Amino acid sequence: MKKSCIAMLLAGGQGSRLYALTQKAAKPSVPFGGKYRIIDFPLSNCANSGIDTVGVLTQYRPLQLNSYIGNGQPWDLDVADGGVYILPPYLGANEKGSWFSGTANAIYQNLSFIETYDPDNVLILSGDHIYKMDYAKMLREHLEKDAACTIAVLQVSLQEATRFGIMNLGEDGYVCEFEEKPKQPKSDLASMGIYIFNWKKLREYLIADEADPLSSKDFGKNIIPKMLAGGEKLWPYRFQGYWRDVGTIGSLWDANMDMLSSTKINLFDPSWPINSRSSVCPPHFTGEQAVIRHSIVTEGCEVEGHIENSVLSSNVRVGAGAQILYSVLMPGAVVENGATVEYAIVGENTVVGAGAHVGAAPDGSESWSVATCGPDIRIGAGVTIPAGAMVYESKEV
Amino acid sequence: MLDFHGIIFAYRTTPALGELVSKRTAASLPFCGRYRLIDFALSSLMNAGIRDVGIILQRDYQSLLDHIGSGKVWDMSRKSGGLRILPPFGLPEYHTGNYSGTMEALIAVDEYIRDIPQKHVVLMLGDLAANIDLAPVLEQHVRSGVPITAICSDQLPNGPHHRYLPGADGLVDGALFYRDGDAEGVPSLEAYIVDKDLLVEMIDGSDARNLHRFHKDAIAYYLENGGKMGCYVHKGYAQVVRSVEAYNRCNMDMLDPAKRRQLFPAERPVRTKTHEGVSTYYGVNAVSRNSLVADNCIIEGEIENCIVFSGVRIGEGARLKNCILMRGTEVGAHARLNHVIADKECAFSVGTELTGSEKLPVVVPKGMKI
Repeated sequence: MKKSCIAMLLAGGQGSRLYALTQKAAKPSVPFGGKYRIIDFPLSNCANSGIDTVGVLTQYRPLQLNSYIGNGQPWDLDVADGGVYILPPYLGANEKGSWFSGTANAIYQNLSFIETYDPDNVLILSGDHIYKMDYAKMLREHLEKDAACTIAVLQVSLQEATRFGIMNLGEDGYVCEFEEKPKQPKSDLASMGIYIFNWKKLREYLIADEADPLSSKDFGKNIIPKMLAGGEKLWPYRFQGYWRDVGTIGSLWDANMDMLSSTKINLFDPSWPINSRSSVCPPHFTGEQAVIRHSIVTEGCEVEGHIENSVLSSNVRVGAGAQILYSVLMPGAVVENGATVEYAIVGENTVVGAGAHVGAAPDGSESWSVATCGPDIRIGAGVTIPAGAMVYESKEV
Repeated sequence: MLDFHGIIFAYRTTPALGELVSKRTAASLPFCGRYRLIDFALSSLMNAGIRDVGIILQRDYQSLLDHIGSGKVWDMSRKSGGLRILPPFGLPEYHTGNYSGTMEALIAVDEYIRDIPQKHVVLMLGDLAANIDLAPVLEQHVRSGVPITAICSDQLPNGPHHRYLPGADGLVDGALFYRDGDAEGVPSLEAYIVDKDLLVEMIDGSDARNLHRFHKDAIAYYLENGGKMGCYVHKGYAQVVRSVEAYNRCNMDMLDPAKRRQLFPAERPVRTKTHEGVSTYYGVNAVSRNSLVADNCIIEGEIENCIVFSGVRIGEGARLKNCILMRGTEVGAHARLNHVIADKECAFSVGTELTGSEKLPVVVPKGMKI
């Protein structure tokens, strides 16, 4: 069935900078903001924008991600003509298959999937961004401007601009130059890694790029510069609102802390729901001695201790006398009696033993980093894990 | 395939539930922050592998239909069989008013019962808060070879109930109907495993004699005429919700971790329709003690001994004790509420004061703005 626009979601990233948290699972399936996993944001944005066909490109430890996405029902993406499809790399009978060698190669390897829907346009999304965005608005602008490619851009400060791919615009407002992490930025418009391509054009450039042995098969590094060189019309779509890349422990922790403030990103907005797959648990319980301030708490939790400025995912248990300060506790984490967790991320089902102390920090200190405990581990009673440390299961590679 | 079929009685609206059942039946009463009472019967059947289930309704069932949908949540949306909603279709035209008894409800859907392909039928109440592990009951029923097994409780029910006297052979020796308080024997949970043939026989007999009560008429007749009945005692929390006081007490019981675990054991999850949303946010000055709070809430004030459903807002400086707040209720800043049951989408303006008592909680009807 012909579609005006389908989405391809790049979820294959290893997330190596989140090491302890992505040892067993791909980055998009990392829990986020209490009820969610990172991939809930692009999937919900698709559903809310009326894009009902989404290919999810996976390759690195996809099991958890696959079972999480399932048939797409939590996002209302279980529709008759379309839906959500998991697209792993594959080997044909007489061809040499391979892992996706770059973001553009991942789309190239799935040309036949895209062609089933004969779309006019293809939306390329990344699986590690936290934001709410109406892709339908972006698509309208893409069509209005008759662009071969529309790139979502965010205005950043010139200092920050050195960390992003920067779009320089010509007098007509179209993109005339793309610079990856420029030392002296000429513009403050940063690419968000979200693109809408005219499918015919993209197809042409993907095939040409695939034949180029020098190309690293990447959208930002290869496809966009080649389109510019080829004289195509590239339009910048200016996004306003909250957007965070959560590719590092620090940015993941920051973005979780942002969830405590409705002025940054309002998740209570009924017109733009972010949906997630969750097992049904009873409401969370707060004990006689519990103290919970400026924090979010999710169903299934049992809180007896003291929680401040923290994010608790589902089924977290915090024992009596335990203190959780400026921390993120992922689903099923347990903090036993009298333990302290501060400025830290504790992975799924990890147990922090009685009296243990995980992370420590600020009080005015400027250079510090978040302590991280990976999933399914046990921090022994009384053990101290210093600020910035990363603890994970060592047997597994 | 399992040779069991489920029937849930969800038609009851007891007058003692007052405003709480003005637009719903007891089975669709919101419970424990996110559930409806019928979730327990549906989940017990689901967890035992039963997928073919009929739900008997009579009136005021819109709320229940909204909640159940296609039955997908309980895996009961199947290609063949699955969940069936059973409004009355077999009653004579002159029949008006409420079902005068369970047998009349069964007579009203007798064609459905006759067409049940399975050998055994599990009968359950839609307004019973109990997480019954049915697997061993089904096994005991089949092994015993008796045509009917009563599921009883090891707890004392609130209010009048029926009791069975189990004999040395494990079979029921006698029955005591409409008892209040402790007595001989074990209290019935009005849940039964009954062979379909016997059930059809009971329906025909009741119809012929124009007797409509399940226990006092059909069961009494069956036992008096030498019928054999097995007995299984379910251990753990079990209460039928038949009055505002019982509704309040059952909800408050869930603040007790031991009772909560009996109703929500990890190995037999209770499923319910989910309202997607966000985690609950507690403000800088919030206090939450001995309370159960669902997702999607914003709590800026103080709560103690409260059951808070999804989407509730509690303003700064508000103080709530012993309250049940159903979905979407908003409590303005500095309000003082004690022993209040607020139905869905109520609103209490800034500074409202309202106090009930444990025996007589104040019930605020759905959508009321104070």
